[in-house]
This record gives sequence, C-alpha cells and structure tokens, in this order.
Amino acid sequence: MVFTLYSLIEAALLGVNAVAILNEQRFLSKLTGGGGGQQGYPGATGYVDDMQNAGGVKQQLLTLIRSVRTVMRIPLIAFNIIAIIFLILFG
Amino acid sequence: MGSSLSLFDIQLYNLIHFFDDQESVQKALADCPNLKAIHDKVEQTPAIKNLEDSNTMSSRGPMRLSKTYPHPQQQHQPPAQQQQQQQYQQQQQQHQQQQHQPSQFYQPTAPYPPTEASPNYGGDYPMPQPQIPSGYVTDYNAPQSQTAPSYNNAFFSPQTAFYAPSSQQQQQIPSNQPMPGMEYLSNNPLFNVGLNVVEQGMKDFTGKTVNMLPTEMKKSISSIKYYFAVDQAYVFKKLCLLLFPFRPRNWSLAYSADEPVPPRVDTNAPDYYIPLMSAITYVLVAGLVLGTQDKFTPEQLGMHASSVLVWNIIEICVLCFTFYILNVQSKLRTLDLIAYCGYKYVGMIAALSSYLITHSLFVYRCSLLYVSLSLSYFLVKCLRLQILPDTGGSQPYGSGGSKRRIYLLLLIVILQPLFIWYLTRHLIVV
Repeated sequence: MVFTLYSLIEAALLGVNAVAILNEQRFLSKLTGGGGGQQGYPGATGYVDDMQNAGGVKQQLLTLIRSVRTVMRIPLIAFNIIAIIFLILFG
Repeated sequence: MGSSLSLFDIQLYNLIHFFDDQESVQKALADCPNLKAIHDKVEQTPAIKNLEDSNTMSSRGPMRLSKTYPHPQQQHQPPAQQQQQQQYQQQQQQHQQQQHQPSQFYQPTAPYPPTEASPNYGGDYPMPQPQIPSGYVTDYNAPQSQTAPSYNNAFFSPQTAFYAPSSQQQQQIPSNQPMPGMEYLSNNPLFNVGLNVVEQGMKDFTGKTVNMLPTEMKKSISSIKYYFAVDQAYVFKKLCLLLFPFRPRNWSLAYSADEPVPPRVDTNAPDYYIPLMSAITYVLVAGLVLGTQDKFTPEQLGMHASSVLVWNIIEICVLCFTFYILNVQSKLRTLDLIAYCGYKYVGMIAALSSYLITHSLFVYRCSLLYVSLSLSYFLVKCLRLQILPDTGGSQPYGSGGSKRRIYLLLLIVILQPLFIWYLTRHLIVV
C-alpha cells in the first residue's frame, strides 16, 4: 500500500531495462515470424482490420518493443548510471 | 517648497480646514509649530495655492474646491487630491460626471499602508480602516491604467474619513453592502473594473514569466484550463449523477464548432475539478478514519496522497497502453481519460464516510457495492458514446474493432471498482 513515486520510477526503469535487453536474434524474430505472416493476408483472420487495425495485437507489441529499444538505448545508459549513483549514495 | 507631499500632510491640511471656527484652529495651531509647518507647506504648494486663490477660501472646507488644475511637477498628490475632492463633491451633489483622470492613483504612504492584491474589488477598503463603510470609494471612474504600475483600485480616500455618512451616498451605491465579502463580488457592477485593474497589474508583473513558456506548454495549459471551467451548478449536478445515474437521460456530449463545450455549459462533459477535489478529500477522510482507529500520524496523509498519485499514474498508463496495443482510435483523448478515471474518488469518499458514520462492516460493503454499481453504470453510459463506434455501422470490417472496443470499455469499467475496493480496504478494521 505504501507506494511512493520513487518506487514507480524504479519499477519503470527496471521494466524498460528488461525490454532493452531482449535478444533480437533468438527471441524477437521468432515472434515476428508469426506476426509477419499475417500481413500478407489482410482479410484472412479476424484480427486484421484494414482501416482501423493494420497490425494486430502482436504486431503492435513488436512495433512498440522495437521502437522503445531504438529510442531508449542511449538514455537508458544515463538513467541507469544515475540510479546506481543514487542507490550507492542513499541506499 | 517643491518637496513631495505625503498623505499625512494632505489629511492634516484637510482636517485643519474642516472646522468652521478657523480662528481658534489657527490659534491652536500656533501652539504646535510642527503642525503649523506642515500646514504652511501644503498651503504653499503651487497647485493648492491656485485653488485657494481662485475660490473664496471659506471655512466650509476643502470640499468646495472643485477646480482641476494640471499640476506641473508632482503628478501624484494634487491631482489625486483634487480628484478626491471632486469625487466627494460629486457624491454630495449627485453629479455623475465621469471625469477621467489619467493619473495614477496615489498610493497611500504610512499611516495607511497599501494593501496590495486584496480581494476588495471595485468598492472596498483596505483592512486598517474597518469602521468606514465601503460606499465611499465606489464611485470611481474606470481607472484603466495604461501605464506600467497599476495601483489597487480599492483606494481609500482619507478625506471621507472625516465626514459622516450621508444617505445620499448610500443611495447612489445601492449594490454595495457595508461589509462585502466575496459573495457580493458578483453583484457588484464595479467588480469587473477592479478585476481588470488587478489583472492588468498582474500581467505587468508576471507577464514576462507566462510568455516565456514554450508554445506546447501554453497549448496544454489552455487545454487543461478547459477542464477547470466549472461552476457550482455543474458540480452539484455531476455529483448527483455520479451517485445516482439510473434516471433516463441524454448522455451525449455537446459540441460547438467541432470543439467540446466546456463543462460549465454541458453537464456531460468531463472535468478535472471534481476528481482533484475528491482525491484530496479522500486523503483527508482516510486520515479521519485512521484517526478514529488511533493509527493516525501526519506521515500517513503524505503516504496516502502519494499512493493516490501513483495508482492514478499506473492506471492511466495501463489504459493508454491498452489503447495503443489494441489500436483503437477513438474520440477519447488522454486528458478525458484522466478525468473519467478520477471520478471513482467520489465513490470512495461515500463508502468511507458511510463506514466512518456507522462503523459497521455490513454498511460499508453495501455502500461499496452500490457505489461500484453506480460508477460502472455512469462510466458505461458516458464512454459508450466515445469509445464504441457509431451505431450507424458504416464499417464493413467493424466487427473486430468493435469487439476490442467493448473489451476496452469493460476493462475500464472493471478497473474502477477494483481500485475503489483496493484503496479502501486497508482502512477498514473490524
């Protein structure tokens, strides 16, 4: 119940770290194999809806993960360094 | 002489000339060289000398001096004093001439310290003189000061302190009550005048800082301002709606030129005032409940406030994330979502208050159930029109989309009672 803002920031940092260290080769391309196949058949499955929903849930997730990794690679280094210093100094 | 006159000097001069029996006054003055020096100083000032020369210097007092002479050097005091005299004379003679004096108002020095930013708009008086009815200072012209320093409109005329209130004045100022509080401000026709003056002053004072913000922040500030445009009738109606939404009514939002109408006009519009206030009230009520259980410390208040904030952030993030993942395009903006997610605090307060009053678990559970039901009903009705696609059904592939939207709506609606239960259960003992 005691949920401070700092714990939220910590949790967010750890989550983004987890997203950043997913291995592209072993993990993500396997997922993409399943998700990319759907692109070829727009009307085949119930998930794809041309006008509104071009990707499907899996596709959206993968896009999100990829974009987070691309954007946050460098700033994550800085955030992690700050968090480490903070934890060393203040426990 | 050329030295500047202070308010005290002018007042003294007025006082000296107030009395009919000038000979005895002058004789008394001879005993006090200091006062006599001040009196002579004021008299020697060129403007006042001109006044006295032009009018017959009668013992009826300075209120008869009605000529306006543009003072060559000191812009502050004499025109202001003349204006005071004119004002009073107008009041006495029931003249409503609007003589627009472009001069700045004379900021009173000691012993009448100015009260800046007091809420005495358009007709009130600074606190040091409580015995004066406010009727005297209301008939000022609209003193729209175009120059940089704009003084407080609540100018206390020191002359009028010496004169007894007359019924004439009170007739001319019918809208003022003797001790106006904030509630009379809206009835006062001069409220806008005072408000404009203060606004101008504040803009001059803070204008630099507001303009320095980047444009995106200004846009978001103005879009947040939309959510705070509420009034009492709206708040009352919305609260009743939150606690009893089961009457048949029209739930659609009103738009004007493709823009949603502010909440003041449309009861269905979301706002930020109720969520903010109810969140704060929830923190206080939680403190109360802890107090009745002898578990209260001031840190608890801060902890509750931060947990409210954090859970709100978590909820909004989860919902926005879900919106993005399911790729649902809807009319619902993120800001609206924040507002709708904030309405649960009203229910929480209701449930907690019922527990506080009765201390029975059964009552608490019943009120929790009822509040959850009514909030869910309210949210379904409100969000259905915004998230679900139009019932016109113009989309051939709409089935998948609308299924997702229904799930999303259900998620929102289920989350609220969960939060209500989770955020109040740790307060319930017994």
